[in-house]
Amino acid sequence: MADVQETQLKNQEATFAFGKKERKLLSDPLNDNNPVTVQVLGICSALAVTTLVYPSLVMAVAVVFVCAFANLAISLMRNIIPGQVRLIVQLVVIATLVTVVELALKALSYDVYKQLSVFIGLIITNCIIMGRLEAFAMANKPWQSFLDGIGNGLGYGLILIAVAFFREIFGKGTLFAGSPAELKIIGNTSEYLLNTEATWWLGWYANNGLMVLPAAAMFLIGIFIWIQRSYNTKLVDIS
Amino acid sequence: MGSAFNVFLEAAFIENLVLAYFLGMCSYLAVSKSVKTAIGLGAAVIFVLGITMPINWLLNKFLLEPGTNIFGGMLGQEMDLTFLRFILFIAIIASMVQLVEMIIEKYSPSLYISLGIFLPLITVNCAILGGSLFMVSRDYNLVESVAFGLGGGFGWFLAIVAIAAIREKMLYSDVPPALRGLGMAFILTGLMGIAFMSLMGIDPAALANGGK
Amino acid sequence: MSNSKVILFVLTMTTVVALLLSLMYSGLKDIHDRNEAIYNKKEIFQAVDPTANDMDADKIESIFDQSVKQYVLNYDGDVIEGERADKLKLDKEKKKDAKVRKYPLYVYQEGGKTLYIVTLRGSGLWDDIWGSFALKDDFRSLAGASFGHKGETPGLGAEIKDNASWKAQFKNNKKIFDDVKNQYLSVRKGGARDEIMEVDGIAGATITCDGVTDMIEDGLGPYFRHFEKLKNGKTGQLLNK
Repeated sequence: MADVQETQLKNQEATFAFGKKERKLLSDPLNDNNPVTVQVLGICSALAVTTLVYPSLVMAVAVVFVCAFANLAISLMRNIIPGQVRLIVQLVVIATLVTVVELALKALSYDVYKQLSVFIGLIITNCIIMGRLEAFAMANKPWQSFLDGIGNGLGYGLILIAVAFFREIFGKGTLFAGSPAELKIIGNTSEYLLNTEATWWLGWYANNGLMVLPAAAMFLIGIFIWIQRSYNTKLVDIS
Repeated sequence: MGSAFNVFLEAAFIENLVLAYFLGMCSYLAVSKSVKTAIGLGAAVIFVLGITMPINWLLNKFLLEPGTNIFGGMLGQEMDLTFLRFILFIAIIASMVQLVEMIIEKYSPSLYISLGIFLPLITVNCAILGGSLFMVSRDYNLVESVAFGLGGGFGWFLAIVAIAAIREKMLYSDVPPALRGLGMAFILTGLMGIAFMSLMGIDPAALANGGK
Repeated sequence: MSNSKVILFVLTMTTVVALLLSLMYSGLKDIHDRNEAIYNKKEIFQAVDPTANDMDADKIESIFDQSVKQYVLNYDGDVIEGERADKLKLDKEKKKDAKVRKYPLYVYQEGGKTLYIVTLRGSGLWDDIWGSFALKDDFRSLAGASFGHKGETPGLGAEIKDNASWKAQFKNNKKIFDDVKNQYLSVRKGGARDEIMEVDGIAGATITCDGVTDMIEDGLGPYFRHFEKLKNGKTGQLLNK
């Protein structure tokens, strides 16, 4: 389905235009061609961080960055990359960008760096990035590839943050915990977890322990897919 | 040896790479439509994990870690090259996958055809790279890292074969159209994750000591 | 494309990438080291002052420079000369046998008050957990505690680090060890029944809380031996009262 659109783009002029097609490059991955719920890519590396919104947000930004610049770099080099070592070259580009992200994060926000630990590295194996390089950047001009990277990164980040939003609010009762803008939403977040006399006036909501388990992320994505496909029936049963 | 066995059990059952950390989900969802291909891919993952872990362990220790790498010895001072870890690991994994691909192509063409494009995808199977990164962050020794690789691979194998079997049966169930296929696979994985959670309180070390 | 061209391409790319990353790494190394040191110091100092996490970097550094002395103890409780506690890698130490392990001790002195901060390390549900306990100069009464973890579940096990009211239990009349009953402080699931020797557990985090109990029971020996020597004046560390 994406192929048609990609071959069309191949014939386009190399400008920094921002017309309808470019807009579509950004908006398509958000719904009709969402990398997670439709293309089933990239679920692996980052769902384990979706227990909280803040790290997910950082993760999403990192993926957008890596995806966009990897696409750009590969697209710039697309005519000189030798076919035999194509995959390795792509992996090295991605790994380099991820290392850049890791080094930058370690300098900017050590707390978040600690929290994300090995999952930053796992952006390398995020199939979205690899998939976009292979399917798009190898055949398209730099500017379009860059936009495609941003679009797919955003589509992925959207799901990531949506999952994290539900998991954090129902699992921990907070939003943006760990960031300077931490909000306490429901439940008596800081008081009730102890087993002593529950502070009843705030304790009307007990945090749902299920939401912090990995399984909850799977249920949530399953439900997102259900909702999306109920509205967007052309997507039903494509995989 | 005891600790290696614990690491194996923990990696295979308690901290299952798929069900507890979501690693290797892409190929897990894409190749779990029939049990036969699932077994093939699962076996390939066990093999690649089992072989890349010790190699990455040795390279990490002797090329990257400050204090133990050979460059430091040559220059007479500590040198921290750990920032090259991602690139080194992924390069090793990519070449190992290439190797497995060639072996399978030679000895089992039918398996090679049925695994199709998913074999190169093992390279971007997060379980493989994740295994190596966990090994570093948990500071395993060489034997433990082999055990972790084999255990993690076995756990991944179990998970994909189980979901493939369930999905084969699901064909006969009346699932809402919008939920059919992918959506249901996610929910099933969640349920399996919960089932595996019940193993979580088990402390392998205490079991080895005859219960604490 | 010929093989020599492929090799040339790969070599060029590797060189560019390696150069770029090494430049970035060496450029940022000082910031990384400082961030890490400050992160660790904040974590330890939270045992004394729960607001330590919000302090700015300079303040926490000046506190450690001026009011905190660092010691490294061996299993027998003797001070190992010439070592600094913040240079210890506690995750590596935990893997060693208790007899050859090194133990960090921070002594905080401010306005005539002396607090001894011991840092213990144990195992939670997923991975390592650790805690710093500030002891008053009777070496038994707690003045505060802080915890950290490598990978506990947010909302459950991770609450040992995040939950202020859980951490607030480790002070006032709580004692880490009772010499008469020969009993360590422990975490009780379902609410503490002993005002002095027990704290409330965190709901849904039984294994992590048991990890805290075990950590306290297993790790204090060398410190108590050191404190014993301190009382009898047989140590390199000076007892300021």
